[in-house]
Amino acid sequence: MNWWGRLTRRRTLERQLDAELRDHLERLVADYRSQGLPEAEARRRARLEFGGPDQVKEWCRDVRGTRWLDELAQDVRYGCRGLCRHPGFTAVAVVTLGLGVAATMTIFNLVEALLLRPLPVPQAGQLVTLIRWQDGHSSEHFSYPQVRLLAERTDLFTALAGVGSDIVNVGPPEGLEATGAAWVSGGYFATLDLVPAAGRLLTPADDRPGAAPAAVITHEYWMRRFGGDPAAVGAHLLIEGVNVPIAGITPPGFTGATVGEHAAITLAIGTRPRLQPENDSFLDASSRWLRILGRPHRDVAPGQLQAAVDSAWPGILRATLPDRLNAETRAARSRMTVTVQPGAQGTSRIRARFRTPLAVAMALVALVLVIACVNVANLLLARAATRSREIALRLAIGAGRGRILRQLLTESALLAVLGTLIGLALGVAGSHGLVALIAGAASGPDASVVSLAVALNWRVSAAAMMVMGAATLLFGLAPSWQASLTGPRAVASGANPVAESHGRLAAGLIVAQVALSLALVTGAGLFVRSLHTLRTLDRGFRTDNVLLVSFGPTRARMPPGALRAFNRSVLRAVEDLPGIRAASLAAVTPLQGGGMSTPIFVNGVSTGREEVYFNVVAPRFFEIMQTALLAGRDFTAADDATSPRVAVVNEAFVRLYLRQGSALGQRVSFTGPPDAMRIVGVVRDAVYETLRAAPPPTLYVSYLQQRDRRMTLIIEVPDSMGAAAAAVRTEVQPRVPAQPLRVRTLAAQVDGSLIRERLMALLASVFGTLALMLAAVGLYGLVSYSVTNRTREIGVRLALGARRARIERWVCQEALRLVALGIAIGVPAAWLVSRLVRTLIFGVTPADPATLAGAVGVLIIVTLLAALGPARRAARIDPVLALRRE
Amino acid sequence: MTVHPKSDLPQGTLDLLILQVISLEPLHGYAIAQRLKQISREVVQVTQGTLYPALHRLQNRGYLAADWKVSDTGRDAKFYRLTRKGRVHLQSEAASWERLAGAISVILRTAKETP
Repeated sequence: MNWWGRLTRRRTLERQLDAELRDHLERLVADYRSQGLPEAEARRRARLEFGGPDQVKEWCRDVRGTRWLDELAQDVRYGCRGLCRHPGFTAVAVVTLGLGVAATMTIFNLVEALLLRPLPVPQAGQLVTLIRWQDGHSSEHFSYPQVRLLAERTDLFTALAGVGSDIVNVGPPEGLEATGAAWVSGGYFATLDLVPAAGRLLTPADDRPGAAPAAVITHEYWMRRFGGDPAAVGAHLLIEGVNVPIAGITPPGFTGATVGEHAAITLAIGTRPRLQPENDSFLDASSRWLRILGRPHRDVAPGQLQAAVDSAWPGILRATLPDRLNAETRAARSRMTVTVQPGAQGTSRIRARFRTPLAVAMALVALVLVIACVNVANLLLARAATRSREIALRLAIGAGRGRILRQLLTESALLAVLGTLIGLALGVAGSHGLVALIAGAASGPDASVVSLAVALNWRVSAAAMMVMGAATLLFGLAPSWQASLTGPRAVASGANPVAESHGRLAAGLIVAQVALSLALVTGAGLFVRSLHTLRTLDRGFRTDNVLLVSFGPTRARMPPGALRAFNRSVLRAVEDLPGIRAASLAAVTPLQGGGMSTPIFVNGVSTGREEVYFNVVAPRFFEIMQTALLAGRDFTAADDATSPRVAVVNEAFVRLYLRQGSALGQRVSFTGPPDAMRIVGVVRDAVYETLRAAPPPTLYVSYLQQRDRRMTLIIEVPDSMGAAAAAVRTEVQPRVPAQPLRVRTLAAQVDGSLIRERLMALLASVFGTLALMLAAVGLYGLVSYSVTNRTREIGVRLALGARRARIERWVCQEALRLVALGIAIGVPAAWLVSRLVRTLIFGVTPADPATLAGAVGVLIIVTLLAALGPARRAARIDPVLALRRE
Repeated sequence: MTVHPKSDLPQGTLDLLILQVISLEPLHGYAIAQRLKQISREVVQVTQGTLYPALHRLQNRGYLAADWKVSDTGRDAKFYRLTRKGRVHLQSEAASWERLAGAISVILRTAKETP
């Protein structure tokens, strides 16, 4: 029987061992009997000769080599019994730890899914991505011509490709489904080295200009939409109103190279003009929208690769600079360099936004876990103190000190296992919640398809195991060690050294808890205050009662120039709808995530490399947004293609470019003096792209005087948003049958732009509250314990005439002394935490005294409340009973 | 820690003897002890405390296998038999023992003759 068998078939082995030895004994008896001895004597002699059967059995068990496991099983059984006997203690310890682990795993699951998990492709570790740098700023985006030229360098890369994410409309006009998609260059699947689950994957031939569109779908989409029907390959999908054959299916588990977004459909960039004629500019040198993934040759060392890319890049850059650039921009662009980065984790749109918040959250959550462990340690210490008699007894009857230590550590490990399991389960739920929160708000100009698969894989399990091990040691070692110090003599003499030293150690742990909690509460305070600052900031526009409706008339295949008229007709129709006070149009809505900027000419002088934000709007835009008009006039319906070109600027623009004289009447233009626009109005500054920066100089132009653009309806709704939205849908959707409308409120869009801040404020508040609660529970436990221990002392004081209020104050003072010490240590810790989060906060200094003072106040109140219960109890002690007790 | 009973036999010798006795035919524990006693003319006396741990150790190492069979007493008894691995082990151990024993007796003889 092998080792495993010996371990698992213990009962059988024991039975056999018993039978074997009994057989031996019986044979001995029989032998003596046959020598003529009477039965009783024969049995006596046989026993004598045989010796103790239990001893023999022990030796045989030793031989099995599973003794340590048997003992472990014994420890576990004993530990379980002990934990079951004290359900209150066990529940508090397990829940405390479970919450700590759950918080940790909630964040770690996201870190794992977003930052750590490699793409499910062969040898993902070989993949690289490219980052471009210009004047200290970096970006991951490259133009399609640049990707093509880089992909030609087959001496460096076995394959290289660009990928951009998008939402495409799938299905017939009456049942459009917005579906996550990826536009990829020809080398995409060769780079990823994927083998199709069915059919074929896209190749460079699919990416040639004029190639017939072909779609590759993911295994998940195939299951969801086609139920895994093999006939799906070769079938057609109606994508953007065009019938596209499905060429193949990617292997299971692959959801695209852009982490955080599920690209159910992959299409070649070369076929984009066929499917989205309005987006043909995406193939130009001027559109930089592709993230690059490359698989370098195995024999090209990383340093070599960087050097080769460095030498190749200037040529590629020269060949791919857009024609329409002024000299200065051209010079600046020519300074662009490219660095090669590891690309095993694929590319991501949301990774850059959430990397720092996740790292900070991970650090905060580690503090919560430490606090939870400290709490459990305190519980175990208290328990060890009450168990010292039992332990001394076990030592006295011959248990080894190591054995006792092991027993106590096993109990800690049991708690850790239970807590971790609960934490893992809660953590997965927590992560799902966070993903949903991010997905709900991280939308760009188009609807979001944020999807992160939170999965229990080896990295997550390893992290959980580490957490568990660390927790066991953190809270198990000190109490166990202390308990094992008990000598049998101590019990005999009635002294209880554990109980005495327990007080000191526990007090130290409470101080540590208070200090850490202060750091966390301060962090939470900073995040909540920044969020509040950002929310209440003067943005220069209103957010209530405004409805945004994006509509895409482009699929209607209008002749050039017709879009303007179409937009105008839509606007007129919407203005007349009931429940709507006013309507306008804008190319860019505030905080939609992105905008438009370009170098311009002011009075014939170029702004050089300085790009000026601009927006294309219809009349009444400023009125609806409540951006005050300070001078001049708004656009009117008369500012059309036939009338003189006009513009409106904001105060920041005036401050920067039009310091002399009145702004009104001065001239600005996009391309040079001939198409100059006269400034007819000045408006207040309004936030454009981000709440974190002052409103930039902004130029507004009339939509009737500009080239065709997709516009968003901006609608002022005095009362019911829902009714208005429904009315707009019924009116506008039939006019744009090929694309679903996207309707949202401006308030939701503004909130969506604050997702990072909301996330951090939420997480930090939850963690801070958790830390406070744990610290309060810990303090409560300690004070209760000390009151119980001092019942006699308190009784004496009362008997000698101490007033009850004084006793109460005395107990609270004891608690407050610990809290004060914790705060003294916690202030520097809080300062460290605020340094850590300084890139994520806004409008408050990291060492904000008000926040710190608030955190200290909250901490004192909470801990005082925790101490008050035991203090009351101390004051109610009956001196007669207390003194009679001993 | 457990204290193991002391055997008068040199280390490893008991294993060799057990393997040798069993190599003739499958035996149960009691019979093995009896056989050792008889063959050695009562020189080798193994107690149960030495015999059974040794048997179990040899079984765990794969030198012995065991079958439960109804014995002459009518009860089930555990009969040990030599495995192929055990046979190979026995041969090599026996050879090395004989070599060692031969060497020792030569040394003893020489040492007696010298003075």
